[in-house]
Amino acid sequence: MISVSKLLCDLDAEGDGLRYDAANESTKRQIRDEKQRRPVVVWNVTKQCNLYCDHCYAAADTEIADGELSTAEGKSLLDDLADYGAPVVLFSGGEPLVRQDLEELVTYANEVGVRPVLSTNGTLITEERAQSLKDAGLKYAGVSVDGLPERNDDFRGVDGAFEGAVQGIENCLDAGLKTGLRYTITERNAADLEGVVDLLTDVGVDRFCFYHLDYGGRGTEIVDADLTPEDRRQAVKRVCDMTREYHDRGEEIETLLVGNYADAAYLVEYAREHMSDAQAQRVYEYLRVNGGDPTGERVADVDYQGNVHLTQFWQGYSLGNVRDRSFGDIWEDESNPLLTALRNREEHLTGKCADCRYAEVCRGASRLRALTVEDDLFAPDPQCYLEEEEVHGPPPFDTGENSMAGESSAD
Amino acid sequence: MEEFDHEVDAPRGATSREWEVFVREDTADPLTHVGSVSAPSADIAREQAAALFARTAVTMWVCPADETHRYQSDAATLGSGKAGDDATMSVDEMESETLRGENR
Repeated sequence: MISVSKLLCDLDAEGDGLRYDAANESTKRQIRDEKQRRPVVVWNVTKQCNLYCDHCYAAADTEIADGELSTAEGKSLLDDLADYGAPVVLFSGGEPLVRQDLEELVTYANEVGVRPVLSTNGTLITEERAQSLKDAGLKYAGVSVDGLPERNDDFRGVDGAFEGAVQGIENCLDAGLKTGLRYTITERNAADLEGVVDLLTDVGVDRFCFYHLDYGGRGTEIVDADLTPEDRRQAVKRVCDMTREYHDRGEEIETLLVGNYADAAYLVEYAREHMSDAQAQRVYEYLRVNGGDPTGERVADVDYQGNVHLTQFWQGYSLGNVRDRSFGDIWEDESNPLLTALRNREEHLTGKCADCRYAEVCRGASRLRALTVEDDLFAPDPQCYLEEEEVHGPPPFDTGENSMAGESSAD
Repeated sequence: MEEFDHEVDAPRGATSREWEVFVREDTADPLTHVGSVSAPSADIAREQAAALFARTAVTMWVCPADETHRYQSDAATLGSGKAGDDATMSVDEMESETLRGENR
C-alpha cells in the first residue's frame, strides 16, 4: 500500500509505522511490527459470498465450498500467526460475514495479539453485526464499492448492492467502527472515482483505498476491461490531485494506492512536477523504506482451505497448507526456489525492469500480472505506465541512510 | 517414532483441481515438495508449474492432490472439526440478510 495522503499531504495514519518505518514521526497510535518485517496475513475465511463480482480474485460463489477451516482450526491458525509475529490479520472471503463465528474469531485474534481488520462487501453489516464486530474488537472495516450505484451493481451482480454497502458503512460508523472504502479501478468504473469519494465523504468515510486490478481468480477473465497504461496514469494523477484538493479544503481524507508499485515511481515524479524537488526526495525516501512490491514478503494469504499463497490475488499457486505445517514454517521455507527467487527478484527481473532507475521503490510491481500476460515470472509488469525517460538513468536520489529530505513540502 | 496415524484429508482445491508439485534442481538432489497449482488437467498443471519452476528444475512431478494421501502425527495438525453449516449461513439465510438500502 502506498499512502498518497501521507506522501503528498503529510497526513498521519496508524499504518505509517508498517509502511514507512515512520511511527516515531506520528502522533497516531501505531501498528508496529517490531519483531521483523512479518507479513500482513489475508485470511479468506470462506469462499461463499452473497454477491457475484466480475473481478473477484477468490472466484467466490453463493454455495458453501468444501474444506473451510473450522472455528477450532481457525483459532489454531491465529495462534500460529501470533507465534510467528504477524502484525495484522485481514478477514476476507468470499464474504466473511457469512461466517457466523466471525466475531468469535475476531475476538480471538485480539486476545492473541494479532490486529483484526476486515474486508467486506458491506451488504451483510446490519446494525447488530456492526455492533457485535465493534464489541469483538475489530479495528477496521474496508468496504468494497466499485462505482456509483448503477455501475457498482452491474459489477457486483446484485441490484441494490451499492445502497446496501452504504447502509453497511453507516451501520459501522454508527457503531464507532473505523471504516474505509476499497475501490478496484478498471476502465468500466474509472469515471466514477471522484463521485464515489464525494458521496462517501458525505456519509462520513475518510479512508479510501484504490486497488489496481490484479490478474487472479475472475480478474483474469476481465483483463481486457483493465485500464490502458495511459489511462492508469491519468487515474493515479486524479487520485493525487483529488487528495491534495481535499486537504487544501481542510478535509483530511486518507487515500492509498494498492497493487501497482509503478505508483511509487509516479508519486516521486508527481511530487517533482507539482510540488518541489525536496518533496520528491522526501517521497522517494519514504518509498525506499517501504520497499516496493510486497508479494511473498510483507503480505501473505491463507485461503478458506488453509492453502498459503504469495498474495491474496495469486490463488492459482500455493506454497503449502496450514493443515500440514505451521504458517511460519511454510513462509520461512526458502528451500522453495520460487519463494527465494521472488525475495531476490532484483537479480531476475528482465526487460525495462532490469535497469529501471526506480527499481528500488517498485521491484517490478506485479509478478502475477507478468506471469498471466507474458507467461514469464520476471518480465516487466504489463501495467507499468512509466514513460521511457522516467525509467532510464541512475536512481533519482542519493539513497544513503541519512539522506532524508528536509522539511520543505507542498507548494 | 511417530505413528503417522492422522490423515489430513481436507480438500486442497480452491478454484479447480489441485496438483501437488515436486521438483529436483540437480540430478543429485532429492525431490522436494514446492507447493501446489490449481489446474483442470495434468497438462495444464504441468504448464502452470513449469512457468514457476522450469527456470531452476531438472525434474518436475505434478500429482493430483485428491490422490495424494497425507499422513502425519497428531501433534503437527491444526485443531479439528468442520466449519460446515454451524458456522456459515445457508444460502437462504444469506439472501434474506443482504442489505439493499431498504431502510436508508
